[in-house]
Amino acid sequence: MAQRTSVLVDSLEVVAPTKRKRSWGLRLGGLVPVSVLLVGLLFPLFRIFVHVLDDETWPKLTGFFSQEVNRQTVFHTMELGVLVGFFGVVVAFLFAYVQTQLDVPGKRILHLIALLPIVSPPFAVATAVIVLFGRNGMLSSQLLGITHDIYGLDGLTLVLVLSFFPVVYMNLLGMMQRLDPALVEAAKNLGAGQFTVLRTVTLPLLVPGFASGFLLLFVEAIADLANPLVLGGNYTVLSSRAYIAITGEYDLGTGAILSLMLVVPALSVFLLQRVISNRKSVVTVTGKPSGSPQYLTGWAKWPPYVVGVAICTLIVTIYATVIAGAFTRVLGVNNEFTLDHARYIFSGVGSEAMFDTLRLALIATPIAGLLGMVLSWMIVRKLGRSRGAVDFLSMMGIGIPGTVLGIAFLLSFRNPTKLFGVTVLPAFAGGSTFLSGSLAIGLMFLIRSVPASVRSGVGALQQIHPSIEEASTSLGATDTVTFRRVTIPLIRPALISGLSFGFARSMTTLSPIVFLVTPDTKIMTSQILGEVDGGRFGNAFAFCCVLIVFVAVVLGLIRLIVGDGALRRTKKRTSPTPKKLVPTPQTAGQI
Amino acid sequence: MSARILPIAFTAVLVTAVSLTAIPSASSAQKKVVTPKAGAACKKSGQTSAGLVCALDAGKLKWQAAPTSTVAAPTTAATTKEEGGDKKLVVACGAQEDWCQALTKAFEKKSGIKTSFVRLSSGETVARLGASKSNPEFDVWHGGPSDGFEVAGRNGLIEPYVSPNAAVIPASYKSPTGMWTGVYIGVLGFCSNTSTLRKINASIPRSWNEILSPKFKGQFAMSHPSTSGTAYTALWTMTQVYGSEDAAIDYFKSLNPNVFQYTKSGITPGQMAGRGEIATGLIFSHDCLKFREEGLSDLVVSFPGEGTGYEIGGLGMIKNAKNQSAAKQYIDWALTAEAQEIPPTVRSYQIPTNPNAKVSDRAVKLSDVKLINYDDQKAGAAKSALTKRFDAEVANAPR
Amino acid sequence: MTQLPAKQSSNQSTNQSAATRSSQDLHLRGIVKEFPGSTGVVRAVDSVDLDIEAGEFLTLLGPSGCGKTTMLRMIAGFEDPTSGSIFLGDQNIGALPANRRPMAMVFQNYALFPHLSVAGNVSYGLKIQKRSKPEIAESVEMALMTMNLNGLADRDPHQLSGGQQQRVALARAMVMKPDVLLFDEPLSNLDAKLRVHMRNEIRDLQQRMGITSIYVTHDQEEAMALSDRIVVMNKGRVEQVGTPGELYLTPSTVFVADFLGTANFLDVRVESFGGDWAKVSVFGETKEVRAHPDAQSSAQRVLMVRPEALTVAAVDEATANATVLSASYLGARAELRLESQEGELIAVTSDPEPDQMPRAGDPVLVSFDGARTYLLPN
Repeated sequence: MAQRTSVLVDSLEVVAPTKRKRSWGLRLGGLVPVSVLLVGLLFPLFRIFVHVLDDETWPKLTGFFSQEVNRQTVFHTMELGVLVGFFGVVVAFLFAYVQTQLDVPGKRILHLIALLPIVSPPFAVATAVIVLFGRNGMLSSQLLGITHDIYGLDGLTLVLVLSFFPVVYMNLLGMMQRLDPALVEAAKNLGAGQFTVLRTVTLPLLVPGFASGFLLLFVEAIADLANPLVLGGNYTVLSSRAYIAITGEYDLGTGAILSLMLVVPALSVFLLQRVISNRKSVVTVTGKPSGSPQYLTGWAKWPPYVVGVAICTLIVTIYATVIAGAFTRVLGVNNEFTLDHARYIFSGVGSEAMFDTLRLALIATPIAGLLGMVLSWMIVRKLGRSRGAVDFLSMMGIGIPGTVLGIAFLLSFRNPTKLFGVTVLPAFAGGSTFLSGSLAIGLMFLIRSVPASVRSGVGALQQIHPSIEEASTSLGATDTVTFRRVTIPLIRPALISGLSFGFARSMTTLSPIVFLVTPDTKIMTSQILGEVDGGRFGNAFAFCCVLIVFVAVVLGLIRLIVGDGALRRTKKRTSPTPKKLVPTPQTAGQI
Repeated sequence: MSARILPIAFTAVLVTAVSLTAIPSASSAQKKVVTPKAGAACKKSGQTSAGLVCALDAGKLKWQAAPTSTVAAPTTAATTKEEGGDKKLVVACGAQEDWCQALTKAFEKKSGIKTSFVRLSSGETVARLGASKSNPEFDVWHGGPSDGFEVAGRNGLIEPYVSPNAAVIPASYKSPTGMWTGVYIGVLGFCSNTSTLRKINASIPRSWNEILSPKFKGQFAMSHPSTSGTAYTALWTMTQVYGSEDAAIDYFKSLNPNVFQYTKSGITPGQMAGRGEIATGLIFSHDCLKFREEGLSDLVVSFPGEGTGYEIGGLGMIKNAKNQSAAKQYIDWALTAEAQEIPPTVRSYQIPTNPNAKVSDRAVKLSDVKLINYDDQKAGAAKSALTKRFDAEVANAPR
Repeated sequence: MTQLPAKQSSNQSTNQSAATRSSQDLHLRGIVKEFPGSTGVVRAVDSVDLDIEAGEFLTLLGPSGCGKTTMLRMIAGFEDPTSGSIFLGDQNIGALPANRRPMAMVFQNYALFPHLSVAGNVSYGLKIQKRSKPEIAESVEMALMTMNLNGLADRDPHQLSGGQQQRVALARAMVMKPDVLLFDEPLSNLDAKLRVHMRNEIRDLQQRMGITSIYVTHDQEEAMALSDRIVVMNKGRVEQVGTPGELYLTPSTVFVADFLGTANFLDVRVESFGGDWAKVSVFGETKEVRAHPDAQSSAQRVLMVRPEALTVAAVDEATANATVLSASYLGARAELRLESQEGELIAVTSDPEPDQMPRAGDPVLVSFDGARTYLLPN
């Protein structure tokens, strides 16, 4: 070796490399979100398991399946999940198909209408469906003379499919748009007709999307509480049973057991869904699509279009019903115009609930956004072996049914948590605690919003080459400065999407917070539950309208504050997310 | 530049949000405590409850003689205590949302005590009281059937308070131990939709047997006793009407094919009947009247001739309540005629327990109804077991 | 450029503990980097010692996966060595985080901040150091002028051509006046012509500014054109360090000989050794060739013959010792593939006549000039 040894060299000894000190900003930045997840997610779940193990509850668990009623409830829950999963994927595919494969009028409008249910307050769809299609419904009975019993499995399936399919639709739409037209051209070049192409090329490539969509809908369906409460009739599912066990019988033990029954399939399906959607889809690998998409020709394009238009009409009718219901005495029975409902909800408790909800959601959303971005940064860039665990933990907030999480919060935060006699965590759920329980609700909002931010953040970061951040480091910036000056601006579109989703979710969430409301902290969705319970659909509809307006206004503000301007620059090389308020495909897939 | 906007925006949102949180507490602290006028409200306490007793006699009820021992301490006792001056009161409210709102608002206006409430079913109330026993989040429980209060009392969740104003309330409408005091009477009845009845070719039901008719198949609804006090009142009523728990369970078993749905909430069947989803629902008659007033105009109330049950809407003080003086003040006030005349303004037509309160002419006339002698002690004691039986043998029975 | 403020000016806090002299030697001692792999621990870099002089242009050359980029990233501070130390001058910088090392890196994909303009990119590091506004403006203007980017200050990176983006990346690094400039295959995304142009610019700039530079590439021509010295790496180890000439003419291993340029390896019989030369018999004759010091002690040896050292003459079949397999006309030279008793050979001739190219099957006589050959241990 030709060495030009300097004088110094021989005195330089080889020493063990010193572990470089990470900046405090990063340490803290990493510690905070993870501990929030530990306290707000893992610990409550742990408490459920512990509760099930206690002497009083354990026998109930072991005897659980010996009761016909319980077996049936579990079966109902799974049945509902499967049906919603199946039909939801069918509807979602139909819409994506119309958007990408058909040259038909009004596609943009169909797209927008299909996204409407993303902002659907709980009960809105279900109560509207009762008004429209109930035994004495405006459309079914009064117009068509059908007295079909909408309560039960079929009604639930309809309502849940309508409420949850948009997310899967977004996911499939993204996949189909990225589908390289060259593949279709290649198939045609080899002699395949348009149906053969669909059957042999398009559909097989979408299988991961179908699977992940199905599982996603399955989890949403078995977790839903609001719809089974109103529309379930005698069709009992686990989430409503758990709710009744707690609120009606105050049987926390049974509540915990039912939660466990719900958590097991939900979490396993959630895991499966992640495995499927994490596997790199063949569709995304192709890189730059070449050629232009070819539309389906001939008569074949009309049937899917007609079905799509029909579903859109249904969605519009439902939303129109919500609005009309807010301004009529009893829609369908007494259609006289009235402002009573509006007056009622804006007076007293109603407006308190509005502002409590808005305030908490407004606090939780930006924090969730920030935590989500930090978490996704850690997951994509900073973590080694613990990456998978943190990733899973940060997504778990939506994998766990809301009812379960609510019950878990109840078990965990009602009383101070003591460790060896020392209070490590004061009680913060319930009216008698500091800030009268709003901390628990805020934490719940946070936990439920973080996944949206993480998913979109991870999606965005994976598309930004790490060297861009390294360049910043190399130019003297600390990790914190890099995160603030380079990473955040680059993932801004993802941040918007995460914030929007998180906010919409916080505003419309019911099942996890229904156990946590207190006299001084009221939440709109639980007020809606009260109104629906009391049969005052008009008030409920009015609340729903306000909720929709709130969400729309805040989403607009989020765009104004966080968005645009800077987006222009990012779009060409790094913009991983379309500039829409709606989720990006990769975001959507996980929510 | 753009990189700067984000943190600023975050900070702005956070600051706004935090200041929003801070506002209510700040403003409530500034409120002055208005001197309570509980004494004035108690002036009527000397009067007898003769009027009400007469009315009830007409309703063929055999009331026990009102024990004088429960008559209250001098009114001054209550007033002196209030000088401690709680600024805040939290009510667990078992009636409908607007009822709760109207009453708490009126009290707040009168007393200057910031009064908040949360609407809870009786099961939920017992649950939450139990959960926060060591650190109660409520001070008063107002509304909802008295059996719930009995349960709470036995579990040590509420404590006796004999209001000076309770003297005027007939003895049968209050706990002998002073654990709770009744504020209203609600009579269980059928809530039917006349046009739906016409469709199924049935007349307005006037007996428990009538609704067993196949005409009512899938046309009847009631709430589930495990979640609703209303349903439990019905369940216990049948126990008394038919003489045994077994007979009552058998009755509900045979009613089961007609039941379209067991609802979570006690009043939902009335709403369903009002919409024409079903012909008849079993609910408290005053709730049915409320629905009719609110626009479900086809509704009509009827009562079973065999005799029907009723609820006494309770009022009690939470054990170890944080704001005890305010709680007592509230209870004193809620028993006055003035307070008991508020519900009709929000279309709630229960019968007030205070004989001096004006009874709305829309309220059910007790003289028109055959009431059973509802044994709330026994009802309360049997509740847990009977509800479980219903759950196991009737409601969840697959059809 | 010389008026640009030095990176270690006194008003910034981040680099105070870093070296405060402008140009210093860099010493690597016993550098090992292990990564957890699917089949156990993978050694990406294996016991590397290296000394880089101040102002030197050193290239890490090797095939992909040889550890050269990992080496560079350890020097930059993006990876921590599993063991070993890095000294800048006499200071161990192993404990310094990447952002506090007085180094600037130019990335393969340029890594321009897409949300910042050209000026924003170039001024980024200076802003982090909290330089004054006029100072930053001046430095940025100078840097853009030096890199021929005048008038592009307000453009967005995606509006620039590849070459321009590369210049911005360079300007962004240069403006920091770093002690060490690090290049990670910066030219690999450019087309062939531009690549040659840019490498000349980089070389000129480096010569002018005298910044110690470490350059990673897998392109041996680029390495030879740019470097004072080249470090050839293979499987995480340093194969040889030397000037381009040393590596080309006297490679110490077959790998180095093969990796730099084209080489024919002939199995030869060694008649005798004489220090740094040997007598070998090949093509039926005995020749004196230069020999690697280790060749004598090695059990097996091969003779490296560069294609341009072979002389090919058209002869009749009787005198021929090889036949032509194929002949490619490349303008300034021609490349011939030959079949000989020593195996397949590649020969290069200069100034070929396009219409007088040999055809496949033609008999030829191959001989070589002993001066451009080297006997290697195998």
